[in-house]
Amino acid sequence: MNELLTKLGIDWKLLIAQIVNFLVLLFVLWKFAYGPIIAMLEKRQKKIEKGLKDAQDAHKKLAESEERQKEILKYARTEAKEIVEKSREQAEKAKSEIALEAKLQSEKIITDAKAQIEQEKQKTIAEIKSEIGSLVVAATEKIVGEKMDEKKDKELIEKSLL
Amino acid sequence: MNISIAAESLFHIGSFPVTNTLVVTLGISLIIIIFSFILKSRIRLVPRGFQNVVESVLEALLNLADSVTQDRKQSKKFFPIVATIFIFVILVNWVEVVPGLGTIGINKIEEGKQVLVPFIRSGSADLNFTLAIAIISVISAQVLGIAAIGIGKYAGKFFVSPFRSPYFVGTFVGLLELISEVAKLISFSFRLFGNIFAGEVLLMVMLFLVPYFIPLPFLFLELFVGFVQALVFAMLTLVFFKMAATEAH
Repeated sequence: MNELLTKLGIDWKLLIAQIVNFLVLLFVLWKFAYGPIIAMLEKRQKKIEKGLKDAQDAHKKLAESEERQKEILKYARTEAKEIVEKSREQAEKAKSEIALEAKLQSEKIITDAKAQIEQEKQKTIAEIKSEIGSLVVAATEKIVGEKMDEKKDKELIEKSLL
Repeated sequence: MNISIAAESLFHIGSFPVTNTLVVTLGISLIIIIFSFILKSRIRLVPRGFQNVVESVLEALLNLADSVTQDRKQSKKFFPIVATIFIFVILVNWVEVVPGLGTIGINKIEEGKQVLVPFIRSGSADLNFTLAIAIISVISAQVLGIAAIGIGKYAGKFFVSPFRSPYFVGTFVGLLELISEVAKLISFSFRLFGNIFAGEVLLMVMLFLVPYFIPLPFLFLELFVGFVQALVFAMLTLVFFKMAATEAH
């Protein structure tokens, strides 16, 4: 057995040296290569996943805000239309009201004026009547040449007027 | 031309023989350690250059481990040993294509004959190296198996009571399992040693016979063989880990 091992070159001293060498290498690689590299790989994977998710979220948010913008615009448009319609209606109403009032006013003025004219006319007629009365009396006085008493005067006046 | 199965010793420190393979393995280890220090000092979230290469290799190995274990957590547990075996073995294997193989060395007088002791000899062409890694692989499998399913269940794989169904067959199978654990040591070490040693001898012979151009295809072949052997070693280790960490049916 021993001879076989020697022939194959197996030497326990060298064997132990190689085992120790491998273990040292394993330890160093573990500490300085595998650990940091795997941690880095995982970190990067997480970061990329997060980045992708963020991008997706941002995309969704953008679409949402666009939708909202559209809605707001639509609402504003209908609102504006309504306001314009309302104001037009109001103006129309005001116009007709003003016209009606003006018509009423003018009618009133006309009636007033007519009444005044009538009154004036009556007054003038009465005045003329009394004037004519006194004129007749004066003329009669002149013609008669004498002053009649109050009673006769009145009688006469009334007679002439009839 | 001198071909010896055992690695040639360059000199002795006391009674400790410093062989050419030991020097090569230590050199490779030193290079890997230096590179890992450099890597550690300039590791970044956005990888660049060397970090990219290391990351792609490690990620490929990690995915390979995932495909065997089907479990990320277990893969991470197995990964360091498997990856170290792969990286170390592939680099040590590829030493055989370095120019100067079997030609540059020191002359020594051994048993009255002048013998050339080359400086470069692939570590895998030395049974001490392959057996060392095989021992680590097999012992790690036992440790990981016990850690994963507990010592009782793990021992139950090998020692089965002859009074339980299927009676003596189970006991016999358990015994075979125990022997196969030891056989793994031999198959691991001799497979790698045989392939790389044969490759070295082939390259040396080709160089000796036709020094120009003809050895080129064999160099590429040896690069491929070195890769495949490293992969086989790592994969088998991974599979044995998985088998050890899985409960018996």
